[in-house]
Amino acid sequence: MTSVLVVDDDQDLAEMLGIVLNGVGMEVDLVSRGDEAIEVFKNSQPDLVLLDIMLPGADGIEVCKAIRKQSSRVPIVMLTAKSDTNDIVKGLEAGADDYMVKPFKPSELVARIRTRLRRTSGELNGNLLIGDLTIDIVEHSVMRNGKEIPLTRLEFDLLVALGKEPGRVFTREALLSEVWGYRHSTDTRLVNVHIQRLRAKIEHEPEEPQIILTVRGVGYKAGGSGVKS
Amino acid sequence: MNKLISSFRKSLFLKVFSLSALVSLILISAIGSTLYNRLEDGIYKDKIASSISEGRAAIQFATYRFTIESLNGKPNFSSLAEEIVKSTNVSAAESGREVVLFNTKGLKLRGVPASLTSNFLEPESVPNALRKATVKNKEITWERGTLSYVNKRELPGIFVGGVFDIPKLGKYEMYMAYDFVAQERSIDLIGRSLWVTGFLLLVLILLTASIVLRMSVKPIQVAAEIAESLTTGNLKTRMSVRGEDETARLGIAFNQMATTLAEQIGRLENLSRIQQRFVSDVSHELRTPLTTIRMAADVISSARANFEPNVARSAELLQSQIEKFEQLLQDLLEVSRFDAEAATLNFTKLDLYVVLKKCIDDLSPVAGEKGTEINMRKTSERTLIDGDSRRIERIIRNLLNNAIDHSEGGPIDVTLEANESAVSLSVRDYGIGIEKQYWNRVFDRFWRADPSRSRVRGGTGLGLSIALEDAVLHGGDIKVWGEIGKGANFVLTVPKIAGTPIGTYPLSPSTDTK
Repeated sequence: MTSVLVVDDDQDLAEMLGIVLNGVGMEVDLVSRGDEAIEVFKNSQPDLVLLDIMLPGADGIEVCKAIRKQSSRVPIVMLTAKSDTNDIVKGLEAGADDYMVKPFKPSELVARIRTRLRRTSGELNGNLLIGDLTIDIVEHSVMRNGKEIPLTRLEFDLLVALGKEPGRVFTREALLSEVWGYRHSTDTRLVNVHIQRLRAKIEHEPEEPQIILTVRGVGYKAGGSGVKS
Repeated sequence: MNKLISSFRKSLFLKVFSLSALVSLILISAIGSTLYNRLEDGIYKDKIASSISEGRAAIQFATYRFTIESLNGKPNFSSLAEEIVKSTNVSAAESGREVVLFNTKGLKLRGVPASLTSNFLEPESVPNALRKATVKNKEITWERGTLSYVNKRELPGIFVGGVFDIPKLGKYEMYMAYDFVAQERSIDLIGRSLWVTGFLLLVLILLTASIVLRMSVKPIQVAAEIAESLTTGNLKTRMSVRGEDETARLGIAFNQMATTLAEQIGRLENLSRIQQRFVSDVSHELRTPLTTIRMAADVISSARANFEPNVARSAELLQSQIEKFEQLLQDLLEVSRFDAEAATLNFTKLDLYVVLKKCIDDLSPVAGEKGTEINMRKTSERTLIDGDSRRIERIIRNLLNNAIDHSEGGPIDVTLEANESAVSLSVRDYGIGIEKQYWNRVFDRFWRADPSRSRVRGGTGLGLSIALEDAVLHGGDIKVWGEIGKGANFVLTVPKIAGTPIGTYPLSPSTDTK
């Protein structure tokens, strides 16, 4: 059973989230304080974290950083009341995979959570080579010279999405739909921030990327020779 | 020259300075020339008076001497004449006095020449008119003239003449000539002194004027500069105040005004900031409970199959009203963002055609419910623009939604057209229409042409207002045409390249785009 950690200081909302997620067969832990959330995360090891940004104790961004220190894999989805602030970018930079702006449709939330969870079990198998990286799709690992590079699930998905069709140029919208499961969203901050985070981890020179190339005015593509073996 | 005139026009200092220079120049020259003339007159008058009395005495004395000599048994007129003429020689150089003796008839008698002069004075120096007058008057007569010497020297002066009859000898004229050398020298000196004095005076006056002007104009200049600085929004500028005079008072009053102004502006800014902040905070604060409500409604709504019809319908209404409420909240937030000038653009190259097509695809079902068909016509391939995709899409959605709301089941014609610099998108409906006087009011927030008319599908009342703000943010605009019963036409025009002007409009709402 999928377990979700819900961190929100609004008790009613948290409870409602619990009802909705329980309704679709997920197990929910409710936490209302940021500092508490870090503790609970350690003990319960949930499959996914729903995280409000404004929290007592420690704010969502701190919590996000703390969780990322412990686990590079768990998907984190932020909940926010403000869609236009730097908080979102900060949250994404701190390691959140996605965000939802209140008020959201419950169905949308569930769909988003499922996307994040499904993605982690990809539909491909075998190894993928991009530049000097070896991607093991089954093992969910990225290796360079025999050394593993820790990526979040989302970063991994992003890399695989680009790498499985090397040379194809993906628009930001295409990536949003491919990796995040958005059909209408045009919020390119998600893509930009995650591409940057990914580059910081896999590129030799993040300022002069060789693996994920920017195609000006269009989007991104995987560089180097991508070979599926 | 133009530059000079313009700087003259613009500078109070230059104006006042040149005016005072002109006035003092006229005044000084008037006083100087009057003074000069008066002094000159006085000096000559004195000299003339003294010359006349001296000449009279000399002539009388000569007459007397000749008369005495004539009583002599053997009168030696020639040596007497010599003596009388020469007697002046010694002192002549200093006194500038000459003597001329004429026999009236021009005869040489008894050794006395027809004319005798002292110091090589030309006898012709004596003006003929004077001689005639003297002979006629038989009295002391005088005239100004020029003393001409054999050596060509010429001096201005005065001739004083008299006639006397000498028994045994005849009629003689005697002229005393006095030159004006000393007087001219004095007058020259006075003239030069006057020039120098006048010049110094002028310099002094101008210097004083410039100092005074600087003192009085400077604060005005400073005030003007600071007022300009204030106008450009630099509310912290103040005049420096020294002393307690009028300029200091000007400075103090000015600074007080600036302070009051800054305070007022600050207060208003603060108020509007608080208000914007409040709207934004309220909107944000509403979001969390709204999320809960929404989820609750969703849970209820999804179970409505098991409800009584009334309860099921209520659940449906709850659901749809929450959606509307949410949209209103979103629009309010957007508006508060515009008011706070916090809206930012996220430019990318986008094809207006692609965005438009997507919007039409999304909204066609909604339009179809009302029997409205959306027709698209595209007349240009070059519809690529710099735009914020979210905002551009929102503009188009708002225009389409507005048209659907007001089409009353009629069709909607959408036309896309471009030229070199801009792209226009026209949305034409054939519904209710708008009166000309309201064309621009449709962009007012929550504005309704007819307040009693209900919204059928109902936007939030903020859609067009937000659309216009979005368009303006892109450097574009939205123009309106409409007529009651004939429908309305909204034309969005945006420049192709961000930051460049629209230039000519590819479409304008007055042209019927059908």
